[in-house]
Formats: sequence, structure tokens, C-alpha cells
Amino acid sequence: MSNGKTPKAISKEQQSYFKNIRAYRRKIKWTRWILLLLFFVLWQTATQLKWIDSFIFSSPIGMWQAAVELVKSGILWQHLAVTIGETMVGFLLGTALGTALAVLLWWNSFLSDVLEPYLVVLNALPKTALAPIIIVWIGNNVTSIITVALLTSVVVTIMTVLEGFCRVEEEKIKLIRIFGGNKAQILTKVVLPDNVPCIVNALKINVGLSFVGVIVGEFLVAKMGLGYLITYGSQIFKMDWVLLSVILLAVLAALMYQMIVSLEKRILKRRNQ
Amino acid sequence: MLPAIMLDNVSLSYHSMDGETKAVSELSFSVSEGEFVSVVGPSGCGKSTILSMLAGLLTPEKGSVTIEGNIGYMLQKDHLLEWRSIRKNALLGLEIQKKVTKEEEAYVDMLLKQYGLWEFRNHAPSQLSGGMRQRAALIRTLAVQPDILLLDEPFSALDYQTRLSVADEIGKIIRKERKTALLVTHDISEAISLSDRVIVLSARPATVKNIYEITLSTEEKSAMKAREAPEFREYFNKIWKELDVHV
Ligand SMILES: Nc1ncnc2c1ncn2[C@@H]1O[C@H](COP(=O)(O)OP(=O)(O)O)[C@@H](O)[C@H]1O
Ligand SMILES: [Mg+2]
Repeated sequence: MSNGKTPKAISKEQQSYFKNIRAYRRKIKWTRWILLLLFFVLWQTATQLKWIDSFIFSSPIGMWQAAVELVKSGILWQHLAVTIGETMVGFLLGTALGTALAVLLWWNSFLSDVLEPYLVVLNALPKTALAPIIIVWIGNNVTSIITVALLTSVVVTIMTVLEGFCRVEEEKIKLIRIFGGNKAQILTKVVLPDNVPCIVNALKINVGLSFVGVIVGEFLVAKMGLGYLITYGSQIFKMDWVLLSVILLAVLAALMYQMIVSLEKRILKRRNQ
Repeated sequence: MLPAIMLDNVSLSYHSMDGETKAVSELSFSVSEGEFVSVVGPSGCGKSTILSMLAGLLTPEKGSVTIEGNIGYMLQKDHLLEWRSIRKNALLGLEIQKKVTKEEEAYVDMLLKQYGLWEFRNHAPSQLSGGMRQRAALIRTLAVQPDILLLDEPFSALDYQTRLSVADEIGKIIRKERKTALLVTHDISEAISLSDRVIVLSARPATVKNIYEITLSTEEKSAMKAREAPEFREYFNKIWKELDVHV
């Protein structure tokens, strides 16, 4: 609106400043792509010139062929869909359950004081260490995988969201109490809306954590999914499959993270418009 | 006139592991219906504590507090909720008290129009100036139609220029709406220019040191004009000495 700049009156100096910035940004972008391309070209050359053994290091063309083969048989989509599905359910459930438990602990300070040391220990524990136990309890199935994914994200969600709840300004809570508001209204009118950014941030952290849980789970029990493709491929020495899966996993994780980031932007924009 | 607010021998201490802090000690005063009373005292003497007791947020350990009517409370900062529009912020109290009806909404809209915020009703609080935000906070307080207004240094977050005009304006609004008002401030001029009486408190724990009836020779009670009255300086000097501010 009125930020002191009028679009018409751009000086020559300002124009050349813009031009320089744009040129610099283009350079960065191109260099990034070239670097990636170089990496694959180098990899391919190294295997073809037998600098490295493509049987254990795979190769870009080998991976491409594996991808085409897996796409043709229609199985790649299934593996992808399974991993995406498990991860989504894992981090959505983890965030929802973590937030719900944070509400409970905020509500009952006795409970949260009692449980504090346990939460600290649980938070420090690598949750994937629990995966074998979960599988024994729940069984060789998708529920186990999702449970592991959920476990990786739920404790850290409780801690970050609860901390956000406790950071709400005392005076804002007073505002609700002045109007005769009860604890439930303090929660719904101030504490929760004030912490929407905090919860979305937890969502962001949980995407990555949930992927870790899902892949470990799939390593152990799955018949489907990228984690399964990785272990299965390494057992039968199909390294093309293994490395293809790892690359797909990287792309997938980045895409999902980006999705949450744009969701975050949209939510924050709507709040502050 | 009937007293709208009455404190009778009220005492209250805060307790923590570091010990006991006596905030208010055997404090008594009253405010009549329709009266505008200011409370001045050194910072940390227990002024906010007194308002919290009047609003029922704290219970006195000794003595009694009597309130005739509904309380409206205005805090030092406006605390407008950023995720709500100005109008939604103004409706907050009604929402909490589950009293949002067509008539109440119309009343809030009327207040928004009357006090120059109608055009900004759909704006976010961050888009408004400090003075406008404080006005929006006042409308939020008035929306629940309180009989008594408690104001806890409501202008101290504003810069000096805005502060004078906002204090003037809000003082006028309160008189126009015929509310009983108890204003806490550490600004002596503000207290003299706005009120019928000024209560001077001692340092912590708060007790009444003196009470001044303010009569100024300006006909109209305007915070700006009041400062020009010849009596103004006299009151100011007396209260200033009483407060015994050591620099
Ligand atoms: N929740 C609390 N716990 C302990 N001490 C408090 C608390 N609130 C206020 N106090 C103390 O009580 C005294 C009076 O506080 P307050 O009523 O806020 O003073 P004022 O509003 O006059 O500045 C101060 O010394 C303050 O430090
Ligand atoms: Mg105070």
C-alpha cells in the first residue's frame, strides 16, 4: 500500500540494482542445475570407464532403466503410494495426538509437572529403537509402521506445542478472565489460535520425523513401500532399485516439506491480512 | 449517590517461595455511581492488585470488596487479538459471555461508527495506529455494557502526543456513556485533568495517603482544557509532593 514507493518513479540506479539482483539469482539457479547434471554425468562416466563398479554403485542409466521397468509393471506407483500414505497418516496423527496431549497437560498442570521428566527422557530416546517392540506387540502390518512413524513425532510435538501454550502472554489470558471466561474459553479464544504457527511448525518438523519412522518400519516388516524396495533390493543386489528408491525418497521428502511450507504461508497470510 | 465500588479494610499479600509480598494493607475507599476517580501511586505499590480484586480475579485475604453493577476492565496494552478483525475483537466479550445477538451486534456497530472505527472494522489490529487500537479496546470493553469501568494505565503504552489526545477522547467517551470509572495511572496531570477525585496511595503495601476533590474553573471537563486551569498547578504540586518521588 503506502510503503513510500511509487511504481512509476524507478530511477536508473534502482533499475540497474534490480537487474543485478535478477542476474545473480539466475546464476545461482543455473549453477544448481548444472551441479546436479554434472554429478549424474560424472557418476555415469565413472561406471562406464570402470572407475567404480556399477554392480555395487549402480548408475544413472541403470536407475533409469529400473525406473522404466518398475513403472511399466505398475509397481513403482504402488510402492510410492504406500510410503506416502503411511507417512501422511503418521505425521498427521502424530501432530493431532501430540497437540491433544499438549492440551491435556496444559489443562492439568499437576499432570504435566509429574510427567515432565518422563517426557524429557522419551524425547531424548531415539524412537526407532522401539520399532521392534511395536512390531512384536502389533504385528507384521501397516499399523505397526504407522505406529512407529507416530511415535517418532508425538513426543516432540507435545513438548513444542506445550511450550508454545505456556508462552501465551499472561495478560491475554487475563483479558478472557475479565469477561468472565472459563478455562475452555481461554483455550479456544486465545491459547489455541495464538499457537497456530507453533502447531504448523510442529507439522513441518514431523514430516521429516515421520519419514524416518516409516522407512525404519518398512525395513522391518513391509511387503510394500520404498523402505521395502531398499531392503529387498540390497538383499538381491539390485542396487539400481536401492539407489532409485533413495533418490525418490529425497524428492518425496522435499516435496512434502514444501507442501507444508506453502500451507504455512497461506495460513499465516490469512491470519495477518 | 450510592457507592458503586466499596473497599473496606482490604488486605492482600502475594505468596511465593521467596517470601510474602504485602501488596495492599487495610485499604478503604469508595467510588460513587457516575463518578470518575483516579488512583495514583508509585509504581509497584499495588494499584493493579486493587483492580484485580475489584474485577474478582483475586480475593482479598482480609476485608471486603463490594461492587454494584457490571465491571468492564481496560488493560495497559490493548491486547487486540491479531487473528481477529477489529469488529471481531470488539465482539470478544459478548462472545465469551454468550450474549451475541442482533441487538448487541448493532450496539457494537454503533460504537464503531460513533468512535471512528467503522471503516476499519474488517482491518487487522496491526493495521491501526496506537490510538485507534486503544479506542478499539475501549469499544470491546463497552460492548458488554458495563456500569463500572476499571482502567489500568490504559494510555501508558502510547507516545506522549497520542497519549494526550487519546486520554482526552477516552475520558469524553466515558463521561458521555455515563459510566463510573476508576482510573489507575502514575501520570499526575492525567489524573487531575480527567477525574472528579484523585486518590493518592502510599508505597507498597498500598494504603490511602490522601484524597483530593478536583474542582477546576474550566466549565467543560476536557483533559486538554483542564491543564490550562489555574488550580491545575496547585493540585499537581500537592500530589507530586505527596507522592514523594525520589529521583
Ligand atoms: N503474581 C504476583 N506474585 C508475586 N508478587 C506480585 C505478583 N503480582 C504483583 N506482585 C508484586 O506486588 C506488588 C504490587 O504489584 P502491582 O499491583 O502490579 O503494582 P502496580 O500496579 O501499582 O505497579 C509489586 O511489588 C509486585 O512486584
Ligand atoms: Mg500495574
